[in-house]
Amino acid sequence: MLKNHTRRDWLRTAAAAVSGAYLAGPRLGSAAEAPAGRVALARCKTYQPAELTPAFRRMFDQLGGLGKLVNGKTVAIKINLTGSPTYRLGYEPLENTHYTHPAVVAATVQLLGRAGARRIRILESPWATADPVEEYLLQANIEPRDILRAAPNVEFENTNYLGSAKKYSRLRVPSGGYVFPAFDLNHSYQDCDVFVSIAKMKEHATAGITLSMKNCFGITPCTIYGEGAGVDEPSILPKGGRGPIHDGNRGPSKSAPQEKDPKSPRVDTWRVPRTVADLVSARPIHLAIVEGVRTMTGGEGPWVSPYQKAVEPGVLVAGLNPVNTDAVAMAVMGFDSMADRGTPPFENCDSTLKLAEEAGVGTRNLSRIEVVGPKIAEVRFDFAALRRERGRMPERPLGMRG
Amino acid sequence: MRWPEGWKDPAALNLLSGAAIDYLLIPDGSEFSAVRARARQLGIEMSAPDRTPAGVEIVKGVWPGVQWPTSGAGAGPTGVPWVDSNGWLIRLNRAQHPDSTVWVDAPPPAKSFITADAYLIAVADCASHGGRWIIDLDSPLAKSLPARDADSLAIWKRLTATAAFFAAHKTWPDYAPVGVAGVISDFAGDNEFFSRELLNLMGRAGLHYRILLKERISAASFESLRAVSYTDAAPPAPDLRRQILQFVESGGLLMAAPDWGEAAGAPIAGPQPAGYKLRAAGKGRIALADDTPSDPYAWAADAAVLVSHRYDLVRFWNSGAARSFYTLSPDRKQALVHLLFYADRGPDSATVRVAGRYRAARAATVDNPKLGDLGIAPQGDGVEVRLPQVSQYVALELDV
Repeated sequence: MLKNHTRRDWLRTAAAAVSGAYLAGPRLGSAAEAPAGRVALARCKTYQPAELTPAFRRMFDQLGGLGKLVNGKTVAIKINLTGSPTYRLGYEPLENTHYTHPAVVAATVQLLGRAGARRIRILESPWATADPVEEYLLQANIEPRDILRAAPNVEFENTNYLGSAKKYSRLRVPSGGYVFPAFDLNHSYQDCDVFVSIAKMKEHATAGITLSMKNCFGITPCTIYGEGAGVDEPSILPKGGRGPIHDGNRGPSKSAPQEKDPKSPRVDTWRVPRTVADLVSARPIHLAIVEGVRTMTGGEGPWVSPYQKAVEPGVLVAGLNPVNTDAVAMAVMGFDSMADRGTPPFENCDSTLKLAEEAGVGTRNLSRIEVVGPKIAEVRFDFAALRRERGRMPERPLGMRG
Repeated sequence: MRWPEGWKDPAALNLLSGAAIDYLLIPDGSEFSAVRARARQLGIEMSAPDRTPAGVEIVKGVWPGVQWPTSGAGAGPTGVPWVDSNGWLIRLNRAQHPDSTVWVDAPPPAKSFITADAYLIAVADCASHGGRWIIDLDSPLAKSLPARDADSLAIWKRLTATAAFFAAHKTWPDYAPVGVAGVISDFAGDNEFFSRELLNLMGRAGLHYRILLKERISAASFESLRAVSYTDAAPPAPDLRRQILQFVESGGLLMAAPDWGEAAGAPIAGPQPAGYKLRAAGKGRIALADDTPSDPYAWAADAAVLVSHRYDLVRFWNSGAARSFYTLSPDRKQALVHLLFYADRGPDSATVRVAGRYRAARAATVDNPKLGDLGIAPQGDGVEVRLPQVSQYVALELDV
């Protein structure tokens, strides 16, 4: 029996072992060839539309304008509503710490609408429910009408189950995938011309950081990929979280594409970054937005650590390539976008950015990314320094995984 | 209080001094003669355990608290734990027997360690809904308490302080329940299981309801409601149907089983909620179930969404396994929201949002009956109140 070892120690050791020993998965393209584009930064201290909307308008213009991206098209927006709507960090409203702020969603929707988007669908897979997303937001004290009224033809869809379609849509990973060759997803991820990910700027207990790419972990329906998924066919209703993707303790419903190699590591810090890289390859992100006006440090939700706190970085990041965008967001957070396993914020996990880069999604090399707006150093909010401070605190048990 | 079988020494009655316990259920048998005699001298009413006192309805309840799931699929750290409460049962019996006091017979589970806070919950769960828990000590406590060891006395003091807290607020049971949904039924016969369990599960879903006994419905019964549920096996009598349809036509929602009969109004086009067909009637809607409902859990969950969380009367954050009972004083100048936290400790950094426009909020707890004013943050049609660290029961008083 191991003595004087914490669960975190064990995970660290186990993950390091599997990472070094297990090299399964595609040998993919060269990082030097991964797409590089422009990423826009903006200072934004409040969620007041008078500040937020002009900031976004300027950023989108710097990216080449929304019109040519969305005019006449159906746009799907994945937002981030992780965890229960009744769980706050202290007394802070959820949108100030770990939920995508509704004002950010509304401002984006408004600008998409003005740019000619024909239809805008707001997508999320709320925790363990098939209830409408609007009802989930209301429980968090967020008024969905503010988003629905921001542009014509706006609707929400809960993508944690089949939703309004008759069947799931199969989206394949072009490179073949690290863990999954393809995914069965709610139709909304296929029935769109443009896919937008609006994430909160946060660290993550399992994946180090959660930005525009990790936000897409939640596009997987728990009816197929969750703890309560049907064995042969998807369950009707979603139950529980995505533990099976984390731990690999069971596969998706048999009707869906199975893992490439059931003997691959059953360790979440190996599996989650790779699955995210697979997901953003299968469902490409056309516009990546990372919202850091207000957020939290220490994890993706209030359940992660006793040392988390609400912070106000006052920054927005947007780009047309999610790896480029997340790389710049990482730099804004004080992290090295080229960091690999063993280096913050990836002390215990693999870098989703590196994996996505190797899959050809985009570069994480800042020297190849054009950053417009204020300089990174001017808007930096040092999550990395706060992480080091927390690292000196006495260790306490981990909470749930997001 | 159910007198413990082992308490044959009348000296045990001294424990009741100042304890707000005014009625004893003492076992038959000559070995309790001295206890009975002493209780009589002290002016404490009593009867045998199997005899129901006049003016009292004794109902069989459950030991209130959290039942934690054993499987990860049903609930997780962010899932909803299952709470056992007697609130619905007390409210139903009070509605059915308005001239009686409801006592709840719910002994602690055998072979469990019952904490002082668990006794607090047992008393508060009943008293906050206008009933009384028949105090029933677990065997170890009943054995150790007469010796007055410190641990046992601490539990006893917590229990009796809770009883005394509610005894000091004798008008609270007169406050009227506030709800957004009305449950119409006779709560009997074929309808008994579904309708009673629906009350239980609506409470669990956080949907505040009012009980509408079929035989006593009047126009006033629908006041301030947004929805009514009708699931009885037989269709409503013509007069009741007329009253319900009047409610719908003035803007309400009717959730009805197919046995409701022919539905009024016209179909509403567009996507339908799973399992229902929506119809428009006047200013309101009818959600007619496709099939006869068999699962009150699903019906309660559907009701919460069909009514919409927009109209939640109470929302909690960081509350753990919480329930609430929203009441209004007879003069309608004060709301009293009973907040119950069923976990083994009270919440930390909890926030509660109460629908309604209020100008001040005060809290009272068993530990601190005058906890005092709490700041309120107006928020649209409600107010948000941040709770300090509290124990498992809070009486939140809000002034109109």
